[in-house]
Amino acid sequence: MNRRGVLGLAAGALAGLLARRPAAAAATLRPPGALPPGAFELACIGCFRCAEVCPTRAIRFPAGAALDAGQPFLALREAACVLCMACTEVCPTGALARIPAQAERVAAEVRIGVPVLDRRSCLPWSRQGVCRLCAYVCPMGARAVELVGPLQAPLFHAAGCVGCGLCEEACPEEAHAIHIVPAALQDGGRT
Amino acid sequence: MDHLGTQRARDLLQPWDLVLRGGRPYQRARRTVLALSLLTVAGTPFLAARYLDRAWPAGLIVGATGSARVLGVELLDPLLSVGVWLARGGRPGLLAAALPVLLLVVVLGRFFCGWLCPYLPLLALSHSVRWALGKLGVPVLDLRLPGWVRFAVLGTVLAGSATLGVQLAVLVYPPALLARTAYRMAFGLGLGGGATVLAAVWLFDTTISRAGFCRSLCPGGALFSLLGVASQVRVRRVASRCTDCTACDVVCNLGLRPMSDRVDTGCDRCGRCIAVCPTRALSLSLEGRPR
Repeated sequence: MNRRGVLGLAAGALAGLLARRPAAAAATLRPPGALPPGAFELACIGCFRCAEVCPTRAIRFPAGAALDAGQPFLALREAACVLCMACTEVCPTGALARIPAQAERVAAEVRIGVPVLDRRSCLPWSRQGVCRLCAYVCPMGARAVELVGPLQAPLFHAAGCVGCGLCEEACPEEAHAIHIVPAALQDGGRT
Repeated sequence: MDHLGTQRARDLLQPWDLVLRGGRPYQRARRTVLALSLLTVAGTPFLAARYLDRAWPAGLIVGATGSARVLGVELLDPLLSVGVWLARGGRPGLLAAALPVLLLVVVLGRFFCGWLCPYLPLLALSHSVRWALGKLGVPVLDLRLPGWVRFAVLGTVLAGSATLGVQLAVLVYPPALLARTAYRMAFGLGLGGGATVLAAVWLFDTTISRAGFCRSLCPGGALFSLLGVASQVRVRRVASRCTDCTACDVVCNLGLRPMSDRVDTGCDRCGRCIAVCPTRALSLSLEGRPR
């Protein structure tokens, strides 16, 4: 590289450093083990390996060519995470921190998002009947969802929930009362 | 200096780049590797999508260009590993994954661009289309950007990751774009924006500047040139055999001039200049520059 090359590199670096940071995009659900928002986007190289090994194909990529085009997200309503941790095992840059697929490690370290329950749509809470599907599929059991009252209405505990979305996926179509949202978007725990 | 030979040299250019005069085994090996590279990048996702439930071919190969685990060995593209390293600092795992390819680049220079880049078969297609357009009398431009532009792009891509908070290389780097597009198609996610960028790159190379993206815009190529600055595997010329026909200068994708011994770190070791040389004055060698 000659002197012009060095100058070009320096000028490019300067241009890059002066680039305006776009308005922070709404926080997104990332695969399990993801670094905190901000750090994850810098570490992820969009290699698609997490999506390649995901058995439920819960890991998706945005369709556009915008800045986030290479960043995986979860579509939990369509396919929940089964906490196999295969994605964390194949991530080459540590954007997804490696977590072994052991129940206690998963319970302690995975925080994909937090559950938000819309009680107006939830069958027992809106007095339409007993449902219990969310509690039935929850891998965390009573730590994450407790059934209360005569209609066995679910009561979610964000602290015990890993955010896998199995409850959101299982929640009856007409109700669709459960939404796993990024922890950053949680508004006062309206569960 | 305009050479009489230049027109003759242009006539030598065929759709698939060149009339092979020397270096046949080299070109055969290179094209085989390139074809395998494109096949792997385009095919692995489909195998993965098809045989996912049997955990195959996860054991053999996960990922594609950019980042792959082949038989348990991690391979990571230097452009991506350097980007993450600059943005987040070094991590032992990252370094271990980046090391095998980094070592190869230090020894062999910018060989990735001539030997492995899955975009290269598409570039050959672009050459063919250019040639056909020329035959049909459709004018095609050959814009030549200054040599420093690719370093400016590299600087922007690496430094911009810090300010924009996203690794920018994956958005503009053809091998990464190709791999992602193949994955999207294999997993039924549609073509996606990466395909649009890729198409723009290809159209730029086809109609505006021959191999212009590789030559002047690709941040990967610029980084490989930088990392391979000490590589001793170079194209060298025996001046006494050279007839100044300019065939090598014309055939070079990257705008280098082997005939005037102006082959710098930008050389991708594709050996096409060696293959077109009618008097076999050029060779790729480790020896000191013959004088």
